[in-house]
Amino acid sequence: MLTLTSPVETPFHRVPAGAKLLALAGVTVLLFSMGDPVMLGLALTGIAALHLVGGLGLLRHGLRMLWPLWPFLAVLLAWHLWTGEVRDGWAIALRLLAAVAAANLVTMTTRLTDMIACAERLAAPLARVGVPPRRVALALALAVRFVPVMADRLAALREAWTARSPRRAGWRIIVPALLGALDDADRVADALRARGGTD
Amino acid sequence: MSVPSDPLPASGPDAILLDGVSFRVAGHEVLSDITLRLTERRIGLIGRNGSGKTTLLRLIAGLVAPSSGRVRIGAVDPFAERKAALGQVGILFQNPDHQILFPYVEEELAFGLRQGGLSNEAALHRAQAVLDAWGRSAWARVPVQSLSQGQRQMVCLMAVLAMAPETLLLDEPYASLDLPARMRLARRLHGLEQRVIVISHDPEALAGMERVIWLDAGRIRRDGPAGGVLPEFAAEMAQEGARDADADLAG
Repeated sequence: MLTLTSPVETPFHRVPAGAKLLALAGVTVLLFSMGDPVMLGLALTGIAALHLVGGLGLLRHGLRMLWPLWPFLAVLLAWHLWTGEVRDGWAIALRLLAAVAAANLVTMTTRLTDMIACAERLAAPLARVGVPPRRVALALALAVRFVPVMADRLAALREAWTARSPRRAGWRIIVPALLGALDDADRVADALRARGGTD
Repeated sequence: MSVPSDPLPASGPDAILLDGVSFRVAGHEVLSDITLRLTERRIGLIGRNGSGKTTLLRLIAGLVAPSSGRVRIGAVDPFAERKAALGQVGILFQNPDHQILFPYVEEELAFGLRQGGLSNEAALHRAQAVLDAWGRSAWARVPVQSLSQGQRQMVCLMAVLAMAPETLLLDEPYASLDLPARMRLARRLHGLEQRVIVISHDPEALAGMERVIWLDAGRIRRDGPAGGVLPEFAAEMAQEGARDADADLAG
């Protein structure tokens, strides 16, 4: 299964989460201020090069994590071909790729615990309006852990459908997937409770 | 594959008491009027699927409250007094994937410790110490997804034992393991100092237990040493298997 965790230990793992997130914010602002496809292409190359610090395996993993973007890119490019603004189309596509790749790199090389600790610090002001930062942080952690679990569940349902139907599953597996997610939620609640709950 | 018993230590963990416990879900009674006093160090729960074994374990773990009756571990109500209960009981779910909350091994181990009041750093440090003690030092930064089923169960076991509960509750721990993994787990469990309560539908897994409780349709059918209960259970299961009784629907 594909997950947003690096298959190898990299030097980035040792950089504090807050610093990485700040750098990511900076890079993203920079990407959105650039309009030249050539410059954006260079930025994307730079981010790919950063992946190489973790070796070819990390770069390959990063590329696979970008694959789900292809429908968006296809629509984007098709639209801009249609309107004749090909240059803009390339700029938006490259910006999207570079921004997501950079965000993925940070996620892949940051321990969830560190990410949670960082989110907890950022969410500290929320305590004043009655939202415990710890719970915000935990919600974040659970989302990271269970997005791939949901993806697995969808794939399994699609397979079960295909095994007994000549047609594609499409939207019809959404309801069973949601019901399954509710089951999962119950189990997670149990697992949390069994080890001290959310406080 | 069994978890044979050693003599009861002088000062064992608190007794687990169930007093007239019933548990109903949507009008269906899963457990009916269960009264038990559990003091032994190695206890087995046996019964067919749907007999209420898991519900009984969840009640003891304090994951659910009884519909009527009382559950106590010593003086602690495991459902209402969570903080105290965590030092008393730890539960291992049947499916490790339902138990693991975090993507990395060390984080999974550290979670319960943080909930127990340790700082982030101290919890991670303690997690590494637990991994070292179990000869799994290299597992800390390993993504849970890359581990085998048996290894994931090992992670769950270490995560629960890291919290040092007096009693360990195990729900069908052997069900999804292959033979070598079963033997390894049985050896681990055998060596534990904690009280262990194991669910199984397989008599072989419970041979040698001090006490085995046979649940049938939410009631206690038999209760005694493994040598007395298990042969009776096995004989009845063989008889059931010979009949074509699958068409019966549960009331």
